[in-house]
Amino acid sequence: MNCCEFREKHSDYSDGLLSPAEHSEAGAHLAACTACRRFDAALRAGLDALRALPRVGVSSAFGARLRRRLRGEFAVRVPVIARWSGAVGTLLLVATVGVIGWDLLESRAAHHGRVGWSSTGWSRASTTVAAAGTVPSYPMPRLVSLDPRVEAFHPMNSILIVEDTFPFTGVAPRRYDVPAVWGGP
Amino acid sequence: MTLAVRDGLRNLGHAPSSPFAALDDAQVVQAFLDGRDRAFDELVARYQVRLLNFIYRTVGDRERAEDLVQEVFIRIYRHLHRFDQTKKFSTWAYTIASNLAKNELRNRSRNPLVLFQTIKRHWEADHRPLQFEDSSSRPDDLFRKRHLRELVEQSVSQLPEHHRVVFVLRELEGKTYEEIAEITGCNLGTVKSRLNRARNNFAAIIQPHLD
Repeated sequence: MNCCEFREKHSDYSDGLLSPAEHSEAGAHLAACTACRRFDAALRAGLDALRALPRVGVSSAFGARLRRRLRGEFAVRVPVIARWSGAVGTLLLVATVGVIGWDLLESRAAHHGRVGWSSTGWSRASTTVAAAGTVPSYPMPRLVSLDPRVEAFHPMNSILIVEDTFPFTGVAPRRYDVPAVWGGP
Repeated sequence: MTLAVRDGLRNLGHAPSSPFAALDDAQVVQAFLDGRDRAFDELVARYQVRLLNFIYRTVGDRERAEDLVQEVFIRIYRHLHRFDQTKKFSTWAYTIASNLAKNELRNRSRNPLVLFQTIKRHWEADHRPLQFEDSSSRPDDLFRKRHLRELVEQSVSQLPEHHRVVFVLRELEGKTYEEIAEITGCNLGTVKSRLNRARNNFAAIIQPHLD
């Protein structure tokens, strides 16, 4: 073992982590090498001095200061949470009910044929439903594509753009092929 | 804040006749989680000096070290309900302390003003009149001891940050390699390598003064 190898393994040697063979080899090098012996002695003296350093204690105000900080931490958190949780919770509940309700209304409207937005389309559809008294079996508008543009319904236009965006969801309007019974060509 | 919490905070850090003194750390933690807020006093009493010495030897500034120890206990108080009780509380506390100490060292290296204030405080401390601690020893022996003490303190402060943390945990706090690996988030091989380099650096700094 040379000096470089000894220095590399010195930490494990000091802590007794080398194998018996390596430990014995390191010990033999230590006995034979003056430079490494001085290094080992300096390290041990330094570590002894380090461990003999006086332990510092906390100041007399440490406990009171910690107490104040914990009170401040604890006192701030609970009222803030209590103050805002009710309002946020209520808002979330209202928003959730609104979304679900709107969805239900929309699906019911679609089921009963009310997919148009123009007053003509709506009145025609509602008249038809009212007259039939039952859910019409007309073919439903077929989803063609998602188109971010909102276009007005034109009698000659077979494509019906339905603005079905819920104000808070921002879902893009959908395009439907409108069968003639719904006012399409 | 409940009365129990307020009572628990009243005797913080002073637990002369604590009913929890005979319990181990895990039992004290459980007592606190069960609503016995005075158990936190016991944890503070057990760890305040240990953590202070660890952080002080790592960052080199006693006042700042005490602030950081306070921060450790605040984080423990805040997150104790999420602490994995299958792990050792000691390791968790030292992990928080180690992270805060490392952040402190990194902030210092980026902020020259903070570094200057630290150096200035140490300069003023060094220029206080020499005081003889032990009247039974010869003055030159006392001088040598004080010189050696200052030398080893300076040697530790000159170690690179990631070597210093491992060195202090091993040599001053007596932590095992496995505990150090868990505290620092490194694997065992890295811990051994850093400790070896730290010891070599430490010896290289002090050896010329001891010869």
